[in-house]
Amino acid sequence: MEKITRRTLACLFISLLLTLGVGLFVFRFFSDGGHWVSFAANDHIYEDGVLESGTVTDRRGNLLARAEYGGWTYSDDYSVRVATLHAVGDAEGRIGTGAISAIADKLSGYNMITGTRTLFGGERRLYMTLDAELCARAYESIQGLNGCIGLYNYKNGEILCSVSAPSFDPWYPPEIAEGDTSFDGIYIDRLLSSTFIPGSTMKIVTCAAAYDTIDGILQRDFYCDGSVDFDGHEVTCPYEHGDLILQSALTSSCNGVFGSLAVEMGPEVMRSYVEKCGLTTSYSIDGIKTRASTFDFDTEDGFLAWSGVGQGFDQVNPCSMMILCGAVANGGRSAVPHLISKITTGDGLRVSLYYNHSTDRLLQAETAAYLRQAMLDNVTYGYGDYYFPELNVGAKTGTAQSDNSSENNAWFVGFCADEEHPYAFVVYLEGGGAGSGMALDVASYLLASALELGY
Amino acid sequence: MKSLLSQILSQIKDGAVYAFHWLRDNPGQASQIYSAVIRWVMPLLAIAILLGILRSMMRARHSSEVWAHLAVDGQMSFPVRHWECIVGRAKHCDVTINLPTVSRTQCSLTRRDDGSWRVHDLSPKKNTSVNGRPIPAGGAEIADGDQLSFADVKLIFRPASFITQAIERKEDDTWRIKSFGRPLFLLTLFQLLTAVELTLNHPETGRAVALCYGILALTMWGYVVANRAMGRRGFEAELLAFFSCTVSLAVVAGSQTGAIVKQTVAIVMGVILFFVLGLYLRDLNRTVRTRYFMAAAAVGLLSLSLVFGAVTNGAQNWISIGGISLQPSELAKVCFIFAGAATLERLYVKHNLWGFIILTFTCLGLLALMSDYGTAAIFFVVFLVIAYLRSGDFATLGLISLGCVAALGLVLRMKPYIAARFATWGHAWQYASTSGYQQVRAMSAAASGGLVGVGAGNGWLRYVAAGDTDLVFALVCEEWGLIIALLLVASIICLSVFAVRVTRSGRSSYYTIAACAAASLFAFQTSLNVLGSVDILPLTGVTFPFLSNGGTSMLASWGVLAFIKAGDTRQNASFAVKSQAATVTAKPAGPYVDADVIRLAPDDPGPDSDR
Repeated sequence: MEKITRRTLACLFISLLLTLGVGLFVFRFFSDGGHWVSFAANDHIYEDGVLESGTVTDRRGNLLARAEYGGWTYSDDYSVRVATLHAVGDAEGRIGTGAISAIADKLSGYNMITGTRTLFGGERRLYMTLDAELCARAYESIQGLNGCIGLYNYKNGEILCSVSAPSFDPWYPPEIAEGDTSFDGIYIDRLLSSTFIPGSTMKIVTCAAAYDTIDGILQRDFYCDGSVDFDGHEVTCPYEHGDLILQSALTSSCNGVFGSLAVEMGPEVMRSYVEKCGLTTSYSIDGIKTRASTFDFDTEDGFLAWSGVGQGFDQVNPCSMMILCGAVANGGRSAVPHLISKITTGDGLRVSLYYNHSTDRLLQAETAAYLRQAMLDNVTYGYGDYYFPELNVGAKTGTAQSDNSSENNAWFVGFCADEEHPYAFVVYLEGGGAGSGMALDVASYLLASALELGY
Repeated sequence: MKSLLSQILSQIKDGAVYAFHWLRDNPGQASQIYSAVIRWVMPLLAIAILLGILRSMMRARHSSEVWAHLAVDGQMSFPVRHWECIVGRAKHCDVTINLPTVSRTQCSLTRRDDGSWRVHDLSPKKNTSVNGRPIPAGGAEIADGDQLSFADVKLIFRPASFITQAIERKEDDTWRIKSFGRPLFLLTLFQLLTAVELTLNHPETGRAVALCYGILALTMWGYVVANRAMGRRGFEAELLAFFSCTVSLAVVAGSQTGAIVKQTVAIVMGVILFFVLGLYLRDLNRTVRTRYFMAAAAVGLLSLSLVFGAVTNGAQNWISIGGISLQPSELAKVCFIFAGAATLERLYVKHNLWGFIILTFTCLGLLALMSDYGTAAIFFVVFLVIAYLRSGDFATLGLISLGCVAALGLVLRMKPYIAARFATWGHAWQYASTSGYQQVRAMSAAASGGLVGVGAGNGWLRYVAAGDTDLVFALVCEEWGLIIALLLVASIICLSVFAVRVTRSGRSSYYTIAACAAASLFAFQTSLNVLGSVDILPLTGVTFPFLSNGGTSMLASWGVLAFIKAGDTRQNASFAVKSQAATVTAKPAGPYVDADVIRLAPDDPGPDSDR
């Protein structure tokens, strides 16, 4: 008997497993509950797949979208509607990363204690950090090109401008016929959910890696004769840059120098630096996950060299590049961007809390300081201060060659180093030509507009 | 003074009349307000109920019973604490005699219901004898004063009831079962509040709801009164079941109007089955004789659904008799445990598992033919638990499990719809409109309930297929909130802990094994149901005991609970255990050593006899 009595303890093992399993469920209930609730079949907050209640405004309270009469209405201003579409989302939930879909739980008033049946009625007002006017101006400035524009405060994380093109008017959503490819990617927020070949903006990372890992790099002299050969693969520059140091190589965006440095450091160092700089991180922006950048450095030297200058297999998410620029300006760390300013009940009672999240250390303070000066010098000596009057801007251009198209895609990324205007930005334009062309103009207009609107 | 009083009274009356009229004219608003308040009250009430039951369970400490003594030279004696005892040199024996000449397991002592005892010789040398006569293969009777001898040991057998100077056990206050009244009253209040909420939310079914909750409360109180009349005081396990049944009625209430009546009938029939089975299990000899019949019944029931069964959701487990749908595989669980448990005598005299293994694999084979893999998994786990308790042999059980995993692999290749469930497992959101349809809705609805729920009858998961059976845990999360859903799971876990605790001083290994098998069945079935519905395990479509909609499942749950009840040997606790000699424990005349292990080795003089 004693023996059998002792064995009975084994039957507690099943109960233990049950406890552990239910424990896991409870953990998910609290961590993922909001996502589970934001499911179009959830009849508590949706009717026929359309979110039943909620109002979305910009930071100043201008209406962006509101649930009314079993559907959603949007801003009266066409440009605002189109410019903020990807951030706000659409009633039908086709833009999964838009607030109406991704933050449906918060719009409906869900919380984990009372569930979807709230204490203070259902209506919730979501104030986004966006400025509708700034977004509209940014959208207009790209003149119908595809791409994305982002501007955010690297001290407190507020995204002031988030624009993705192609876009559409949510009042008249396009009817896309089967097999019609002309609307491809129209539902994707290019700022958060896409990756692109980064072009020379990648040199920020290569430069940071070289600064940290190669002794005496600042004293080293380089010479560019227009091309470097790596076992049969040629890495070329548009013209001979001649004598260079690291700083001037960055300003003139010399492929030869940064390609050679990438090969010298090797794939391990390059891999660790794209991770360290946060490019491969999937950031959580109010629960919306950004797409992580991808790289492949385990190749022949020629490809590795091209990867070091932002060609080859590099695919970078624009938002993560913007965050990196924020970290350059801000001593190596920056705030994680966010889109929700606050949430109130219909009567204006605030029901949300926001804590300022900082990224991990993306750059050593010393490295950040060096890059900051280098990027400021890029503008001063390279692109021209007159693009950014009244502001102290550091930046890097990028011109990405795409395999699918003969046209170049333009990048312009950077930051404003002023205490009163702590903004980082990214401009990416498909078919925008050289980075120092239209992308620079758009960035210039964007910052001027922000300044004009009082930011 | 009098006029003032009458004024106040008339004021109150007017107020009441106004409130009544207002409620009648604004039923929607009244239910809104009531429901908004009550959703905060119910979890607190449920916590109070469960804590009350738990307190009673845990406070009843277990001191063991002594059924006989084995006396040595009139100087000291070994207590015999169970109806089935092993005597030998090994540490795990119930009476350990540490002499090198004694076999590891020397002999077994078994008490019958009528108070007679038998002894079996288990030693390899066959050197045990009673009054000098060797024990035959079938065992021998042993009576008061008989001499049991083996190796150099001579023991005088003294059964408890024949000892002249019987001493009443000192009534130990902590040992007695504490008042069960508070949880019982709170549970009745819980039922009342639930019935009111359901009536307000669905006035059209109000009458049926009131009737059914009335019957449930009456059944519960009737059961308790009947037990008190029999002098029994332990109700923890049943109250847990009644608590789940209360929620179960609410789960069923909104789904179909007729369903709540059916479910109530099932609960009442379940309680009756529970009571009858419990009384039947009292008599061990009778029970043991019925085992073969129960084994045949298990196979018969499963064959029945295979031959006459209708296929639903790919599994062929329903049969319809005269318009009543039954799930025989549910009832087969009760028979399976009944047939699988075994007495110690049986384990030591015929120590093999073959009969049980054949029964198990016959059942598993039939369930596989029906494609009811959830139930098959439950049978298999119950088999593992029983087989482990019976044999303690990890190696063999491991091999059998490996074999079953291989068989499962084969099944997955042959039955694509089962394989699809495994493909969905852990990725339900990727298959939200196909094979993950139910799980993602379960999770979404569950999260919508928060901690306190949206109110009984206010959810939408009940309209999803199997919402009130396979997904019932999520449905309870949605309508009653996470707290109550977790308390329902906690009830099942409590049953397991309870079973293990009360069988500490089990009389027969039959009851111990059956109680633990029953508790394991509940725990495992609950795991499959709960974790399957929220995509932590594959969705297998089994019910939550006492909670899911389904008459046969409810009936079977109560039937299985009887085994736990039969293992509860606390003093005057369970109606399924005879009280007889259990109230009187005795010490033999003369010096008495209350120790399980007495060293009789020559170099060890043994414990001081004055102790």
